[in-house]
Amino acid sequence: MSANNAPQPVKLSLPLEYQQHLFQELRNEDELVILARGLGLMRLITNLLHSYDAAGNNLIVIVGAEDRENAWIGEALAEHAAISMAPKARGLTVVNTDFTSVAAREKMYTRGGIYSITSRILVVDLLTTLLNPETITGLIVLHAEKVIVTSLEAFILRIYRQKNKVGFLKAFSDNPDPFTIGFSPLATMMRNMFLRKASLWPRFHITVASSLEGKKKAEVIELEVPMTDAMKEIQTAIMECVEVSIKELKKGNSGLEMDDWNMDSALLKNFDIMIRRQLDPNWHRVSWKTKQIVNDLTVLRSMLHSLLSFDSVSFLQHLDTIHAAHSPQPGSTRQNQSPWMFLDAAHTIFSTAKQRVYASNVKATEKTSMESLRPVLEEQPKWAVLAEILQEIDRDLIFEPPMRDDSNGTILIMCSDTATTRQLRDYLQKMYIKPKEDVLLAKQDQDRGQPSAAFLMRRKLRDYLKWKSEFAQISSALFAENQKALKEAADPRLAQGGNKSRAPANKRRRQRGGSVIGAAPGRAANGSLMPYIEKPAEVEDLMAEVQLTEEEANEKADIIADPLEDMDDFYELYEMQDLIVVHAYEGDQDEHVLEEVKPRYIIMYEPDAAFIRRVEVYRSSHNDRNVRVYFMFYEGSVEEQRYLASVRREKDSFTKLIKERASMSIVMTVDAHGIEDPQEAFLRTVNTRIAGGGRLAATAQPPRVVVDVREFRSSLPSLLHGRNMVIVPCMLTVGDYILSPNICIERKSVSDLISSFKDGRLFTQAETMFQHYRNPMLLIEFDQNKSFTLEPFADLSGNLNSVNPASGPSDLQSKLVLLTLAFPRLRIIWSSSPYQTAEIFENLKTQEEEPDPIAAVRAGLDKDMKAEDQAFNLEPQEMLGVVPGVTPKNVKNLVLECANIREVANLTEEELEPLVGREAGRQISHFFGRNLIDID
Amino acid sequence: QALPQRSSGSSILVSPRQKGNPVLASLKSVPWEYSDIPADYGLGLTTCALFLSLKYHRLHPEYIYTRIRNLQGKYNLRIVLTMVDIPNHEDSLRELSKTSLVNNVTVILCWSAAEAAHYLELYKSYEHANFAAIKGQQATSYTEKLVEFVTVPRGINKADAISLVSAFGSIKNAVNADPEAVAVIGGWGEKKVKRWCSVVEEPFRTQQ
Repeated sequence: MSANNAPQPVKLSLPLEYQQHLFQELRNEDELVILARGLGLMRLITNLLHSYDAAGNNLIVIVGAEDRENAWIGEALAEHAAISMAPKARGLTVVNTDFTSVAAREKMYTRGGIYSITSRILVVDLLTTLLNPETITGLIVLHAEKVIVTSLEAFILRIYRQKNKVGFLKAFSDNPDPFTIGFSPLATMMRNMFLRKASLWPRFHITVASSLEGKKKAEVIELEVPMTDAMKEIQTAIMECVEVSIKELKKGNSGLEMDDWNMDSALLKNFDIMIRRQLDPNWHRVSWKTKQIVNDLTVLRSMLHSLLSFDSVSFLQHLDTIHAAHSPQPGSTRQNQSPWMFLDAAHTIFSTAKQRVYASNVKATEKTSMESLRPVLEEQPKWAVLAEILQEIDRDLIFEPPMRDDSNGTILIMCSDTATTRQLRDYLQKMYIKPKEDVLLAKQDQDRGQPSAAFLMRRKLRDYLKWKSEFAQISSALFAENQKALKEAADPRLAQGGNKSRAPANKRRRQRGGSVIGAAPGRAANGSLMPYIEKPAEVEDLMAEVQLTEEEANEKADIIADPLEDMDDFYELYEMQDLIVVHAYEGDQDEHVLEEVKPRYIIMYEPDAAFIRRVEVYRSSHNDRNVRVYFMFYEGSVEEQRYLASVRREKDSFTKLIKERASMSIVMTVDAHGIEDPQEAFLRTVNTRIAGGGRLAATAQPPRVVVDVREFRSSLPSLLHGRNMVIVPCMLTVGDYILSPNICIERKSVSDLISSFKDGRLFTQAETMFQHYRNPMLLIEFDQNKSFTLEPFADLSGNLNSVNPASGPSDLQSKLVLLTLAFPRLRIIWSSSPYQTAEIFENLKTQEEEPDPIAAVRAGLDKDMKAEDQAFNLEPQEMLGVVPGVTPKNVKNLVLECANIREVANLTEEELEPLVGREAGRQISHFFGRNLIDID
Repeated sequence: QALPQRSSGSSILVSPRQKGNPVLASLKSVPWEYSDIPADYGLGLTTCALFLSLKYHRLHPEYIYTRIRNLQGKYNLRIVLTMVDIPNHEDSLRELSKTSLVNNVTVILCWSAAEAAHYLELYKSYEHANFAAIKGQQATSYTEKLVEFVTVPRGINKADAISLVSAFGSIKNAVNADPEAVAVIGGWGEKKVKRWCSVVEEPFRTQQ
């Protein structure tokens, strides 16, 4: 704790020089801070907030905070308040769902304090002046990289700055990447935020470097772990699949910039997102096949990751699921299978993964002509290294005990996700347990023996085999139609088995000749991979091989969920010294972990650039805490590449930003009238053309638009506001935008349009609009950057099938045609971007009366229903809408009577009957209750 | 070029004004014939279409208004089939939006002659179609419904849906599952688990 020279009576926790520096800067002026990841952004923010909080008498709003950050800020503020004993500090209030009612919110705001408010609520409250912008002391914007011009956050800042010119505004980001994309991106972003100064703090900043690279350095030991041959083989095979997929993609989409689509960048974390982004302008036009391939790339990339992080059994299980999910859907005439599934490499992936778990024995006895299976159970190479490190640490502690210092002597193991923490915990617990008495082994190592995961892996294999047999049932139940369709062609499994009569679904196994050992898994008639299902006899062998031995049975059952009920009876506090803590990377949260655990040794099971910095910060912040870091990665793996690339990218981004800042001219434009800037920026395109009375509304009432609150997710309200229209947020039942007492508009993006045609939502919406308004309109809004055409949607080759009404319309055009035929008076507005829409709205509104918000809210409501009852959460409702038996009519009863999805799922048929009727009730309870495992 | 005279019931009526329009060359799957009608295309008893190229519209902005006036409110559904053949279409389209409101026409955009022809064919062939196709509720299999149900929360994909149900056996069990039990399933990371568990517990109605 260092006291601050500045005239604040508060205690801060910013020990390092650059942190102090930054804090002073922030106290003095408004700016955008971009700090390299891992350098303690949250700590800075909480300290800053505390300095305001302690002063009291303020209203500060945090914009864009995530749940986790809210929790942290709340805790940190309380802690700070306790430490510096500030009587006026009030801590953080989080306003994140619609839970708090309007009246309560209003009361809360008048009280003042620090609020973290979800953008969607904040914007509505600001517009309705429930939260008067003039009363706000200041705004703190987190994740400033997300404040693009059309975002909700930019909208909030504009409203704030229009009404309030004195309050402070400070924006933070720890992700420099988004600031480097596009034309003069930094300047644009700063204009969006009405900020004049950008403060950049990369790791190579001189103050940062000197603070972290003093004499108190952390000891880092890098360990390159080689992958096993099988892993290498799988990785190569996956990469081959990726390569082929990319080639296919290039073939199908000539004319796009594809320089980046190569194997190197394919290793990057967000490669699929990158491709997606490039295709995005044309996304609604690209062929079905391209979409499929882009999805495949996501799957393949996740496979690359799981190959390294999952153990061999889980990986095989994961592959099985992927395989099942990618089987062709029934009744589709398209070649629905992903292209990579047809490759030899795909076969390599599946068979090698299988061989890592079990292989066939060649010793054929007379009794059985078939081969038997034996477990192989390859272990992850990192496990052994981990065990070695732990032993080394042990030895260290005995032979050269470290000097006593402030750290706890705990060993902290960091890995990428909770699944891996679970895996490591299991491994560490079980590594010295022998699965069975092995005389030879026992002789070789007299004491505890070599650590091995055999016990763990055997248990996993047992679980896997059990799961697999259930899974076979489930997939046969789920894909029964599918298999029927396949069988019509020729079911290879039946044909090969020579079964004349149809076997029961779960008994259908693929029969294999005894001689083919490790042969290619069967290919279906269409050349796709067939799931392999072992013969029951073989599985029994395998089961017998890994069945519980006495030692194993003695171990307690694995605890998945710990109810923590009888805490006091069963738990005691351990000495920190004796602990090994396994933790997953959690962004900024890791700082807390370090502070709380105070580890002497840190093992980074997977690389993470930000965490290394956190260790640096931690080490430098504490004089007397020694840390040794072991840093592990697979040699020549994707993991290594990805780590290096991410470090490089961040550095490049900062370099670019520094260059741009050096030559930036924005500073001049924002002063003096800078505050008016947003309006002008939006207005400069308007009105010059519409001369002479075009904007007569300006003299009368300002133009007004009633907007459904759910629409605030789109950028249109912000743009309308930018065009000087008054936005009235309301909960609307009918329509999205009400322009006048007659004009009601339903906005659909192209993807919305497709989905709402599919579930019939649009038809219902059109019907209700016609009940309440004279001029309902459908707005088809294309994205700003997307191409403005629907054209290659349908096959325009002129075949008659696509026009045949009997076959049912499949393309968007034909559905549009049907819609206009059904509602001849429904007008369609085509807009190439939200900007364009705003202009169109303005145009439509001229010479129309202003809409009445109260009437708009009342439209479509039942007479006895109050407007407040309409506040629904969307996602659970949407899920309910999918359930067979639920119709738009009876869904109302369900949501009024039941609290949530879980309650609906647990209702019996009898209980459902009064709500939805017998038939629907039966369907609903069947949908939830259908048991896929015990199907005969 | 013109087809032999037939009873006009099943064919698109084309005004002689349209002679030479490339759209006619693409009208392949539905028969058409010339006929003296006030609109450009007669697509049934109550439906007609006017063809408008934006290029032309920019030169002769008054043209389309004359044509609409000449229809004299004869048809129930009056399409202005607009071909977007200029790059800076914004102003014209804004104007057409307003026009459609004032003059009671429906604007349909197309980007090529082939697409225009496709629309005309569709209007003709759907003349007597019912609207079941856009009313939703198309029968789908249990699997599809199941996958659709589970994948409503963002970030949960098809493979996750299958692994979830295969781990729990039924949707009911999956809905009732503890977060810890869901987290054990391969592929279900923290975020997904959190989303799934919160969405099944989230109340339908927001509290007052």
